[in-house]
Amino acid sequence: MLKALAGGLFLGLAPGRKPAIKVATLAALIGLWFLLTTVTGAVTGGRFPSPAEFWTSLVQINTRGYAGAGLVSHALHSVKLVAMGFLVAIATGVPLGLWMGWSRKVEALVNPVFLIIRPIPPLAWIPLAILWLGLGDAAKIMVIWFSAFVPSVINAFTGVRNIDRPVIEAARMLGTPRWRLISEVIAPAASPMIFTGLRLSLQASWTTLVAAELVGALVGVGFVLNMAQQDIYPGMILVGMLTVGLLGWGTTVLLGMAERRALAWNIAARD
Amino acid sequence: MGSISFSHVDKIFGPQGSGVKALDNINLDIADREFVAIVGPSGCGKTTCLRMVAGFEAASAGEVKVNGKTVTAPGPDRAVVFQQFALFPWKTVRENIDLGLRNKNLPLAERDGLISSALKLMSLESHADAFPHQLSGGMQQRVAIARAYVLDPEVLLMDEPFGALDAQTRVVMQEELVRLARRNPRTVLFITHAVEEAVYLADRVAIMTRRPGRIKEVLDIRSIREAEGWDRHPKIEDVMDLESFVHLRTHIWKTLREEKDFQHV
Repeated sequence: MLKALAGGLFLGLAPGRKPAIKVATLAALIGLWFLLTTVTGAVTGGRFPSPAEFWTSLVQINTRGYAGAGLVSHALHSVKLVAMGFLVAIATGVPLGLWMGWSRKVEALVNPVFLIIRPIPPLAWIPLAILWLGLGDAAKIMVIWFSAFVPSVINAFTGVRNIDRPVIEAARMLGTPRWRLISEVIAPAASPMIFTGLRLSLQASWTTLVAAELVGALVGVGFVLNMAQQDIYPGMILVGMLTVGLLGWGTTVLLGMAERRALAWNIAARD
Repeated sequence: MGSISFSHVDKIFGPQGSGVKALDNINLDIADREFVAIVGPSGCGKTTCLRMVAGFEAASAGEVKVNGKTVTAPGPDRAVVFQQFALFPWKTVRENIDLGLRNKNLPLAERDGLISSALKLMSLESHADAFPHQLSGGMQQRVAIARAYVLDPEVLLMDEPFGALDAQTRVVMQEELVRLARRNPRTVLFITHAVEEAVYLADRVAIMTRRPGRIKEVLDIRSIREAEGWDRHPKIEDVMDLESFVHLRTHIWKTLREEKDFQHV
């Protein structure tokens, strides 16, 4: 790890290497952090933790645990909720968006409801969700579902509406039956937009999860953040924040890999 | 069997009463295995004629019939070749050609045989597993033609199929289409604004007026082609040099020029 970092720093001196620049930026940021907290003391530990305090917090949550569990358990629980909420959202949102894109009737039917519900921030659903389903996982999955649902629907819908008319006409001319038209023509043609929606949905899922766990939870990264705030423990707050960032980044990378696989034809066609 | 007939066909786009009249009293009968080209200024409604035969548009008045039956919906008996190819970019060449055959529920072995001969016919054998974006425009249009031909349609509808190709590729494709049409004659409705292309390919050429589109004149090319022995010349440029060809081309040009606002020269 250190060796890789050093290698990265070294490469940072070589011009025109983008990954190297990224590593150099990161290193500079850490350096600045060290400078402001530990070396000069310009920022006190009560406002923002020093690298050493951060490290102590990280060790503590991994060995003795914090907020009732170790970091891995908190993280896994959060990932599980995000995954479930996200999957439920795309399993319902993408088909609905495709259907609305395909049928003006369905669009006319669903759109009014959508126009009322859409401006409500997903977080505004949290009180109702807790009232209905309590402080457990179900309420959080529901809120994530609501927040991730909207981008999935809108982008799948737009994806269908943007399909070149001749492509659909070609499929109809070839006598393609309805279900095959949807699975082999409409869905793949809309898939670049669908994936844009999935990325936005995933982002919304993490935002909502942390907010939901902040309000009421017994385990999870958001709960760690909430406890650390009550304990006035900046080191642990930073651990929670970076964990969320890392998990969000990791799931986005996974989605990106799935996208590159599914859209190989499109990525190659764009280049 | 693959006859096409337009009888008293009007087409109005937009709301009834205040819409734009695109086609006005179109009457045209195309016999089985006849190759008819429609030429006309852009916006005259020639593509709309083809789209009505394909079943993509409905006539506002009158009737469009194929084999005596009024057209109501698109179907594989009327294969379409589009100007912009309209291939499925996520499918390979083989899969593009296969879709129509799968829709007919043909067994795999039969499909394989048909695809192989379609690939061979269009000289695409070595590109069977390529994706459309890996092919040139001319190659992509070959795939589209193969996709249409493999269905063994009664009627082939070609909407400016070579309009998006460069001049050299265009000539090659025109010669290829003549070769194809001789080996396996089909009823063809061919839309173009290229006068020479129409004269070279078609048995008859219908000239349309500008909007609202009407059929101004229908020229019999076939009898002249046969009388003057055009088919003895294998190359398009030799045919285009013949006096009979030049005469027909000039006549059509003059007819089109009489249309005000005609911009294609």
